[in-house]
Amino acid sequence: MSNGKAAKDVMIGIFEYPHVPYWFTISQAIRIVKVSFISTKKYPDPMAILVFDEKYNLMGTLTLKDILRGLEPRFLKPSAKAQVAEENESALSLIWDTLFDKGSKEFAERPVSEIMTPAKYFVEPTDPLTKAAYLMLHHDLILLPVLENKKKFVGLVRMIEVFDEISNGILKE
Amino acid sequence: MELIDRENHQKLYLQLFSIIRKKIESGEWPVGSQIPTEEELCHMFSVSRATVRNAVLDLVRQGYLKRQQGKGTFICRRMLSEGLVMTASIREVLFDEKLNISTNVLAKTVMMPIDELDVMLDIQPDKHIIYVKRLRLIDNEPVLLQETYIPYHICPLLLEEDVEHQSLLDICEKKFGIKITSVKSCIDVAVLNHNEGGLLKQAEGSCAILLMQYFYSGETLILYTRSVKNQNRFQLIMEHERKII
Repeated sequence: MSNGKAAKDVMIGIFEYPHVPYWFTISQAIRIVKVSFISTKKYPDPMAILVFDEKYNLMGTLTLKDILRGLEPRFLKPSAKAQVAEENESALSLIWDTLFDKGSKEFAERPVSEIMTPAKYFVEPTDPLTKAAYLMLHHDLILLPVLENKKKFVGLVRMIEVFDEISNGILKE
Repeated sequence: MELIDRENHQKLYLQLFSIIRKKIESGEWPVGSQIPTEEELCHMFSVSRATVRNAVLDLVRQGYLKRQQGKGTFICRRMLSEGLVMTASIREVLFDEKLNISTNVLAKTVMMPIDELDVMLDIQPDKHIIYVKRLRLIDNEPVLLQETYIPYHICPLLLEEDVEHQSLLDICEKKFGIKITSVKSCIDVAVLNHNEGGLLKQAEGSCAILLMQYFYSGETLILYTRSVKNQNRFQLIMEHERKII
């Protein structure tokens, strides 16, 4: 279905995305999003930052959603509940605005490692694209790292390329 | 008030640099006083924030201005020795070679330029930089914390090099053929933050020597190193020889 293509055939370079070490704060990551994407009007799909450790190993990815989630006041976050009918909690979000100055600014000083999506799954460059598709679907990933010999980070597979290749197989007469 | 001449072919930031320097040298802006904020300077001279940042940073590099985190930028007394042209051996930092020196590599990774590193390194703010953080020890006693920033495009293979046993300058010159032609060093006093204090075994908030070095190849800034030395029995050495013209 994917025409025998491998991850290396569709992966994109890692320097397409900004890099940060895990100790950068959320507020520094926000500035990087603004400088790298918003002010340059470059909107890659997905819009993300790659988070590395001090030895340049990939630790995770940080999306705009991760950042906003990291700034969200605690009371807006879903908590474990008894099995009762769900209430409409979106009205609570109106209070966020009033608390933004206090809570969210404090949260913005936390390191990005606390809010990133950890990189747990990856493919080898020679792995079939179907494996990438499987991992991305079943683990709800927007980017999948490509590691050479389980160590060297050489590229990223995105959903758009996976979709394109697999859908080509479907549409082929 | 002298303004930027847009008909002039000279870069705007260089014009602004000269205007501010004149204000300092003439005493119009006295030593110790705070200069207008970035925003005010943009407004005063009808230039962009990037132009102001470049001009101010060059004035900081040349010792006319000093930045104080969270307070502003102040005019300082320049202490330059004049009249002698000297040559110096270019090294990152020099200790007596007889000492038992070792290095711990605390980080060798890639990041985006923050805190005006883009202006310092003269690169676009969305370009990647290599970051190397090393702790120098003498007889296993921490003496110097060094953070080095190099634009990624200048030396991408540096990430694969051993920076524990090799000097970054040697790697640049011998392995990648990048000839370092000049170095500008600025010396100041740093107040150690929690992380620096912990690594250098000094109390947070204590004072240390700060050495900022800019290494150039021709006109291109190749790397910027910020070294913080704690108070101990070891001294930094800088050797200069008078140049015969």
